[in-house]
Amino acid sequence: MIKNSYIPIPVKVDKIRFETEDKLIKTFDLVFMDKEEEKAFRYYPGQFAELSILGKGESPIGIASSPTESGFLRFTVMKVGVVTTALHNFDEGAIMGVRGPLGNWYPIEEMKGKNVVIVGGGFAFTTLRSLLIYMLDKKNRKNYGEITCIYGARTPGLLCYRDELKEWEKRKDMSLYQCIDWKFGAEGPIEEAAVEGWEPINLKEPSKTKIKKDIKKFTAFVPQLVSAVKPGAKDSYAIVCGPPIMIKFTIPVLTELGFPPERIINSLENRMKCGIGKCGRCNIGPKYVCKDGPVFSLKELEKLPKEY
Amino acid sequence: MKDSLKNVKYIEKDKILDFIKVLQKDYTVIAPKKVKDFVLFGELKDNEEPYLDFLNSRQSPKEFYFPQTETIVEYEGIIDKRVPKFSENDMKKRIIFGIRPCDVKSTLILDKLFVNEDYIDDYYKRLRDNTLIFSFGCNNPKTTCFCASFECGPFSEEGSDAFITDIGDKFIIEGITEQGNKIIDKLPDGDGGMLKKKKEIKKNSDNVVSCIENIQKIPEKLRGMFENPVWEEISERCLGCGVCTYLCPTCHCFDIQDEMIGEDGRRVKNWDSCMFPIFTLHGSGHQPREFRFQRMRQRIMHKFNYYEENFNIIACSGCGRCVTECPVNIDVREILEKIKKL
Repeated sequence: MIKNSYIPIPVKVDKIRFETEDKLIKTFDLVFMDKEEEKAFRYYPGQFAELSILGKGESPIGIASSPTESGFLRFTVMKVGVVTTALHNFDEGAIMGVRGPLGNWYPIEEMKGKNVVIVGGGFAFTTLRSLLIYMLDKKNRKNYGEITCIYGARTPGLLCYRDELKEWEKRKDMSLYQCIDWKFGAEGPIEEAAVEGWEPINLKEPSKTKIKKDIKKFTAFVPQLVSAVKPGAKDSYAIVCGPPIMIKFTIPVLTELGFPPERIINSLENRMKCGIGKCGRCNIGPKYVCKDGPVFSLKELEKLPKEY
Repeated sequence: MKDSLKNVKYIEKDKILDFIKVLQKDYTVIAPKKVKDFVLFGELKDNEEPYLDFLNSRQSPKEFYFPQTETIVEYEGIIDKRVPKFSENDMKKRIIFGIRPCDVKSTLILDKLFVNEDYIDDYYKRLRDNTLIFSFGCNNPKTTCFCASFECGPFSEEGSDAFITDIGDKFIIEGITEQGNKIIDKLPDGDGGMLKKKKEIKKNSDNVVSCIENIQKIPEKLRGMFENPVWEEISERCLGCGVCTYLCPTCHCFDIQDEMIGEDGRRVKNWDSCMFPIFTLHGSGHQPREFRFQRMRQRIMHKFNYYEENFNIIACSGCGRCVTECPVNIDVREILEKIKKL
């Protein structure tokens, strides 16, 4: 039998670590067993792969590593179903499979010479990490204008890649704004009160919040923080990835800031199996999220039925 | 007239088994067989005659390129050490004998999805490349047949390697492709009288078979209809049983599942159906197609709009199986007529 699109490429689980304080999310670094396979696996930020555990099944997961980081593929995975639970039970050294790279990617060519605003929520930050690492890479940084990253989670401990966030906070060639929207241990979202180290913003009229230069951590929902930070829309792209509710409320804010639909970029997900546009379940209208997406501009989405 | 006769052969009806035996020397022959009360396609065993006195088979022969369950890969060992295992096996070439033109048309429709410039489904392609098609004209189209709507028809030869017609006491077989001609070469030559008979039968069938007028306008019509309330009305009776998708020769949605027996396992492609809620249910619990009308809308939209937009062809060949087998008598022809009038 010839090697084909349905056959997983064998990889070894090299490193595993907990990513969030609730221990539901782990990050896995996978290493190809065969150097030729590694070379052939050329990917771009925003693409995904099917993580394949023979005997359990497959799960489509965004690639969190950047093609500028060689030697491993990184995936950050929440424990949800059969496959992801099996994956979470793995020890370092386990052998599994990867099928990909699949799907399209963020418009890294089109965005050259432009400013980029990354807006992320929760553990959907994975492919945004890939994009950020890619743009911050020494060879690539000069190709992009200002880089602004707005990232929020329910609690500080639910933010992913916290060691890297600390590094990015210090960088002069990008601005990182973070927010949390849930008090430690409290039932319900915060009101005006701030959690220690996290500044309150005017939640009723977030755009009126005065952002002090050295303060970059807030208690807010992501859309409110975007509204307060007011990233400039001129020559800028906004890349949005997060839970549906975050996307729903962030897009109007970006539109009001002047971002045209063709420069608001979203990454979607749907239940998938084949990943190559055959099995028929991830379509939104005539487009397949696996093959024609997962990255769609708002302009493209406006032409599709609201069925996602 | 004389020239074209080179490609026209005939077999006496009582000699059909002899011809099948000749074919079986080089090919596996898949043909209609009587199975209890139904006619189904299956591999002919030694000395087994095809059952050719039928209108259409209960299931289309799509399973011979797109099996209901098909192994993708096998594996063994403990879970964190498994790697894919391959067994190379040669495949004997096959002939599907007696397939109706609507089911051939459906195959051509499926080809566009499974083998295109984006990705190739190697499993489908392998089965398809190894299969020749001897299609069989329909002398008595059923009342539920509407193949004439789709650039098809009871005597459409598109996609066939050879074409069989029942002219009463004998079958005539016309070679369409080079391969088809080569296979039938040894049969006795037909004559003008036989072709004349075929012409009359064809004319009668073309008159009888129903046709949805202006079907090519449906895709455009559907474009703005996603939010139309008509979908709720159309799907009111639907039970969501999925029989329409199971029997449809162009339905191609599938699932991928892992099956284990002890420490040996295989990964399979299984037929699936957009009529089932789990088809689109996210791991998070989010459900893009929560209601039955949304799933019915997906089925109609996929066949008559999305597929046309992606591949320039409507994903229906008018075989009528969904019409005859629906337990609550939902008729896709009525749905299309309703849509046309909106």
